[in-house]
Amino acid sequence: MSGGGGTITTSGIAATVQAAHAAMAGLEQSLNAADALLGDGDTGGMLARVIGKMAEVDLSSAADPGAALMQLARAATLATGSSLGTLLATGLLAIGKRIKGQPDIEAGMLSGLIAEARDAMMARGGASLGDKTVLDSLDAIAVALEGTMTTASAASTAADAAREALDCYREKPNRIGRARMFGDKTIGYDDPGMLAVAELAKAIRG
Amino acid sequence: MKKLMNDPVDFVDEMLEGLTAAHPSLARAGETGRVIHRSSGARHGKVGVVSGGGSGHLPLFTGYVGTGLLDTCSIGNVFEGPTVGSCMEAIQLADGGRGVLRLYGNYGGDRMNFDMAGEMLEGEIETTTVLGTDDIASAGPDERQKRRGVAGIIFAYKAAGAAAEQGLDLAAVTAIAQRTVDLTRTIGVALSPCQVPGSDRPSFVLGENEIEMGMGIHGEPGIWRDQLKPADAIADEMIDRLLADRPPNGGNRVSLLVNSLGATPLEELYILHRRAQHRLKDGGIDVVNPLVGHYATSMEMAGASISLLFLDDEIEALLAAPCDCPFWTVTA
Repeated sequence: MSGGGGTITTSGIAATVQAAHAAMAGLEQSLNAADALLGDGDTGGMLARVIGKMAEVDLSSAADPGAALMQLARAATLATGSSLGTLLATGLLAIGKRIKGQPDIEAGMLSGLIAEARDAMMARGGASLGDKTVLDSLDAIAVALEGTMTTASAASTAADAAREALDCYREKPNRIGRARMFGDKTIGYDDPGMLAVAELAKAIRG
Repeated sequence: MKKLMNDPVDFVDEMLEGLTAAHPSLARAGETGRVIHRSSGARHGKVGVVSGGGSGHLPLFTGYVGTGLLDTCSIGNVFEGPTVGSCMEAIQLADGGRGVLRLYGNYGGDRMNFDMAGEMLEGEIETTTVLGTDDIASAGPDERQKRRGVAGIIFAYKAAGAAAEQGLDLAAVTAIAQRTVDLTRTIGVALSPCQVPGSDRPSFVLGENEIEMGMGIHGEPGIWRDQLKPADAIADEMIDRLLADRPPNGGNRVSLLVNSLGATPLEELYILHRRAQHRLKDGGIDVVNPLVGHYATSMEMAGASISLLFLDDEIEALLAAPCDCPFWTVTA
């Protein structure tokens, strides 16, 4: 998150989306390759499409950060029919609805907001914590962000937490979705969604 | 597997272009052209009935847009759910000011996207949901709500579509759709696989003389896999399984659907249908309005499904009401 201060702004959100969009150029093929081992090999292409659509949104007229996130959620839904894309939009919408109408969002609220996104995504997708999905990454980030008071330290903490979650789950099996059908053969592989969170968090930290 | 196609990337859009050109009552809409709606437009003052799903199943799902059936339908890539955006567009295009029923098969991706679409439209359009759950091979009777939706969903399209056309409100149309799903049972049998355009292998593999009882319309695993048997033995097992799963409130009148999964010809369907009729009659069950043909397919998959809708008076009347779409017409 740009600025590094104590509040989350619409321009900070816009900068974050642009950073993610720029990073996708280099990540698309490696995420596709990770997904091809367990699924249909489209995670990178799908995320590039979704984030590309989000990056096209002009957030300058958004009334507040919550409204900006809801605009981004709407853009994301236009670009994908895949579960991961819909879950991303679900998380954005959940946070957007929660903070809509509030001009100032303190960085200290991030832990709770990420947890709220995690819970909304869990309800929509039916996955549980421990299934080796993006939910486990978000859970790790939400826990790690407790007590973080600036956006700069939040970005750094989130990137570390996402990487640790990825490393920790690599040796566990996928328990939901298409990858589940491969059972214990998924041990040793990165979940493509968790890998995407880790790589994007790293890119956003800068 | 040989297919008449151009670039696999264009498979769905070229199909939709041809479909709407052949049937002017259907028109494409939406930012990506992945919504089919009635070219006559939504009727004001009527509850909208919307469906959606992946391509590869024609006439399901898009083929059932028409008077007395669906208002609109969102469509995804082959065997992939429609986007949230096209689900929203389908709901908006079906809105005649009295709410919209979302009626589609019970698949995780479709559910997520239709739920999300409804959430995005909260405060604008009132929506309800009914999921097709007729495939008895996909979960036991005690977990009926987990079953997948297959060919039998067309009965719910028909009953809900007729109820909406008659001016019933959203709650009533929704209740009729749910009751029709609750009274419908389907089982399929696969003889040979299908292949997603652009994929380098079939969706599943069956031995030269093997069949799989209970397989789903995307090749989901069924109940057993064994050597091919005579048609009567297969029909007997399918009817026995359907009757063993008879809904508690199901009467002695049924509508019977014998459906091709794609490659199986009408001749073989009629052979199955003949035996199914005999077996039902022997069981003291009257068959009303039998349907035999291609209603819900999986591209070139060979095989068939049999569906029974256990009728009550209201649903029987709704099935007999007029409807008109390119693949199912009932005249008054």
